[in-house]
Formats: sequence, structure tokens, C-alpha cells
Amino acid sequence: MTQEVAATSQVVMGMPFWIATAIFLLAYGLIVSEKIHKTIVAIFGAALMIVLKIVTQEDAFNSLELGIDWNVIFLLVSMMIIINIMKPTGVFEYIAIKSAKVAKGKPFMIMAIFSVVTAVVSAFLDNVTTVLLIAPVTLLICQALELDVVPFLITESLASNIGGTATLIGDPPNIMIASKAQLDFMAFVYHLTPVIILVLIAYVISIKFIFGKKMHVREELRQRVMAMNENEAIKDPVLLKKSLVVLAVTITGFVFHGMLHFEPATIALFGAGLLLLVSGTKEPHHILAEAEWATLFFFMGLFMIIGGVVKVGLIKWMSIKVLEVTQGNLLGTSMIVMWFSAFASAFIDNIPYVATMNPLIIDMAKQLWPNFSGIQLLHHPDLMPMWWSLALGACLGGNGTAIGASANVIVVGMAEKMGRPISFKKFMLYGMPLMIESVIICTAYVWLRYYVLKI
Amino acid sequence: MKAKDLMIPVQDYLKPDDKLKDAVNLLRTARRGEERIGVKGLPVLDESGKLVGMLSMRDILKAVHPAYMDLMNVGGFTWEGMLEEMAKKIADKKVFTLMTRDVMTVKEDAPLMDAVDYMIRKNIKRLPVVDKTGKVVGMIYERDIFFAIVKTMLKENTGGVK
Repeated sequence: MTQEVAATSQVVMGMPFWIATAIFLLAYGLIVSEKIHKTIVAIFGAALMIVLKIVTQEDAFNSLELGIDWNVIFLLVSMMIIINIMKPTGVFEYIAIKSAKVAKGKPFMIMAIFSVVTAVVSAFLDNVTTVLLIAPVTLLICQALELDVVPFLITESLASNIGGTATLIGDPPNIMIASKAQLDFMAFVYHLTPVIILVLIAYVISIKFIFGKKMHVREELRQRVMAMNENEAIKDPVLLKKSLVVLAVTITGFVFHGMLHFEPATIALFGAGLLLLVSGTKEPHHILAEAEWATLFFFMGLFMIIGGVVKVGLIKWMSIKVLEVTQGNLLGTSMIVMWFSAFASAFIDNIPYVATMNPLIIDMAKQLWPNFSGIQLLHHPDLMPMWWSLALGACLGGNGTAIGASANVIVVGMAEKMGRPISFKKFMLYGMPLMIESVIICTAYVWLRYYVLKI
Repeated sequence: MKAKDLMIPVQDYLKPDDKLKDAVNLLRTARRGEERIGVKGLPVLDESGKLVGMLSMRDILKAVHPAYMDLMNVGGFTWEGMLEEMAKKIADKKVFTLMTRDVMTVKEDAPLMDAVDYMIRKNIKRLPVVDKTGKVVGMIYERDIFFAIVKTMLKENTGGVK
């Protein structure tokens, strides 16, 4: 059947096809090589796609299928605004110091609690932000306890990527998948959160075996931590209360956005707007300026580049090839998608990877079920495990290496700045086995839930 | 007045490989004019006498201040004995790891206003003075420029070089 479908929908490999393919490959090559900043590559590649008439500006700016996914951009930028307003309140430092005290200054307990806290915060906020907020406090606690900070930093960045996988808003791949596949917040909670809880439990047990035995702390050093007053961290209690209320409203909005027929970006934009209003911000300039514009423009550029190769049929051609390999075996395809995504994301940026995989999976679905379209196609019962496999593989795969996820890059950079560099090999020694462990758990989960129990 | 008219000739300087504990001792006892009363910053010169950096009291304070504190939004989480602990930790570090590398210099023939301009732009309090070959010949301190200004204002300046 696959052969038949493929034959009827051949891709025309004319001049535009090769131009778009060349731009795409060159751009991705440059992004991987890191010779030129990825955002510059994405912007220039996108401009080339329009200038060389692969896509029109109308496609690039306004088409849902071929252009910038504003749902992703506005969700990201709105969450960035909310966090930027919350940061100076000191709430994150408060949580971290409180956690260390709850752990009574015991090293492994601190590691475990910090990991769980990082995972939970990452499920709702951007991973990089979470790590940037918790790592300095980790350094403080480790210095007070005279402990090596490296295991703590590594376990936190891994936990942040695990936690980020749990929800729609936790990690950019999920945001992108949700937008393309029109999946709502609760779908992610229902399908991904359970397995991420399992992964996190297994993770904490694993780090107990890896690091648990080596760490001991003298009583007087523990007193240093116990003497810290976490309340001193709260710099602006009024703003904190407002922020927490708005955050609660926003998260409630996410929970019900499907029912209310609002896109997640609408909810986030409402939250950001509301917090800007009630926080009494007189001059929004610096809050807006602190948004990660390089990341946002990277997304915009990528969406336009991908739009080009979707339009000329490269992605469709790739999907036909994938189906030829898997011969329409959906369980096999899911597993390949998960494991390939995991190892791909360990070495390359998972954002361009998912940006490519999303249309590829949609094209694959079109080949498999040519009579379906729209939401029926995107949410075809046999296609759903594919989305979850992509999300799990692409998010968790980042843990494989020091460059696999932005949070890892940040942590490695910070450790180097503190005079405790983490080599690529050292990170991989911990990251890769823990990543493989998590993907094995997900493999069992996807297989059991969607192919055996079919729930 | 030119830079060289106001500079204090370089007598003490640091080498990049000096240990920090020796460097701070020199900072403490360096010659300032006639007296050994210490200075707030010293040039770091390599074997050929080329300027490679500056090490100031502020750099030493920065060195004991853990970098994570800059990254936290809140301060105040410290403990008794922390400063001493950090000071011991960095005692054997080499000067080149902590010195300020990007150093402004002023040529010996440059008008004094150049020195003032650099000091204000870069918020620095002392400037190495270099000759035509780039060799450091002296230092200009904020304080000495201030005294030159005072002298002019009070019309005690007799017109010539001091």
C-alpha cells in the first residue's frame, strides 16, 4: 500500500527543489558547525528562501503551514516576560535555600530535592531559566558544605530536561509539537506526565547509586546551611504575591485552554499582559529587552527555512523514504522516531530537529491515510504515539551530551567560570547512560500503553 | 602639561607568573613617589617590559568574591570565615589569571586631558604611561591630576612645568 501511495504522489525535483534543499542543508550544516551564530544563519537562510522565490513573503510571515509559527513565538515570549518580572522577587532563591534546609544540609538529600525541584519548575518554565536560577544557589550551598559542585550541576541540568518533557510548556520541542499537531495542555499531562514521573523516580534512584555514597559533610558545615534565612531572599513580597496569582491564573488557563478553545499562546499572552499591568511596571523596556531575542529569531528563521523545504516537497520525499524503510509498521516507526530523535538530539539542537520532524510526520500521515485531513489526520489514533515518541525522544535525548540541551550548555559554561570545568567526556559519562535509561522506560511505556493496552 | 610631566616613574611592577600572595605584598609596600606606602594598582609587565595587564586592589576583592554571587538576584547568604577561606584559596593563583587584561594606556607626549578623558570614559583611577616603543615608563594617578587641577585653580601654577 505504501508503495502505491508513494507512486501517486511523486515529488517534482525541479530547480526550486534543489535550491531550497541546498539552503536547508547549508543552514543546518552551519548551525551544527557553530562557525556562525545559529540565529544569524537562520535569519539569512530565511531571507534567501524568500529572495530566491522559494516561498513568498506572504507564506513566510502568514502561512500556518509554510511560515512562522506565531503560536510558538508568542508562547515563548510571553513566558519570558512573566519570568523576567518574577526573577527579582527572589522567589527562586527562596525555594532553593528552603530546599537545602528541608534536606537538613545532607548532601544526597540536597541533590535529590534540588533535582526534583528543578524538574518541577522546568515543567512550567523554560529549562535554561530554571537552571540559571538554581545553579548559583547550588554553588553557594556546595561552597558552604565544601562539596564538589560538579555532580550537583550535572544532575540539575539532566533533571531540568526530564521535567521539561512533562508538559506542553516545559520544553520548546513540546511547544512546537503541540502547535503543529494541535494538541492541548491536558493531552501532554495525560500522555507524557505519567511516564516522566516514572523516569524521574528512576533517575533519583540512579543518582543515589552514582553519587550517593561519596558525599559526606561535617556537622559544623551543615550548620552554615541551617543558619541561612531563606526569607531574606524575598526582596519584593508584594510583587511576589501578584506574580504567583498571575502564574496560577496562567497555569489554570493552560489546563482549560482546550475546553475554552484558546491557543496556549493566547493564555500566555494574557498572563504576560496581566502581570505587566498589575506589577506596576512603569517602563517595560528592560523587561522586554531581556527576552531571549536571539532564540526567538532563531525560531522565526527556522520556521521560514522549513517552510521552503516543505513547499518544494523535500520533507514529503523524506517521509516517503521513511515509510519505505519502516514499510508502514507503526510500532516500528514510533520506536525509530523515539530512538533516532534521542540520539539526534544528543548531538544536534533539538529545535531545528523537531522543526523538521513535525512536517515530516504530518506528510507521513498524509501518505498513510490519504482520505483524512485536518484534525482527523493530525489526531489519527495510530499517529498519536508518533507525536509522543517524538516529544520524548527529542526532549530526553538532550541529556546525552553536554551540547544536547541548552540547559547543559549553560551548566557547563557556569562550571567553567567557577574554575570547575566539566569535560565533554565527563558529562557524557553520566548523561548518556541516564539518557538511555530514560528512553528505555519511555519505550516500554509507549509500547505498553499504545500498542498493548491501547489506552 | 603632558602626561610625562605628571607621571610617577615605574619602580615596582608585577610579572604575569607571580603568585597572588607575592603580588598583594608588593601592592601593600610599593613605592609611591618617595615613600613605600603601597599603591592601589600595579602594571603587569612581561620579560620584555611589555604591558600585559594591570592588577588592582579591586581585582583582589573580585577574586575573593565568588562568581555565583554575581549571578544571584539576592545577596546576604554568606558566613563567618568565608572571606578568609576564599583568601587562602586564591593565595597561590598566578597574577595573569586575575589581572585586568584590557588596559588603557596614555602616550608620554599626550596632553593631560587625554588621561582625564580615558579615566572618565573607562571609570579608571590610574593609567600606565608608555613611550614610543610601547614600554611602560610611568603611572598617572587620579589623585595627581586632581592636584594639578587644584594648582591651576588656585593660580599657584607659575606657568612652567612643576
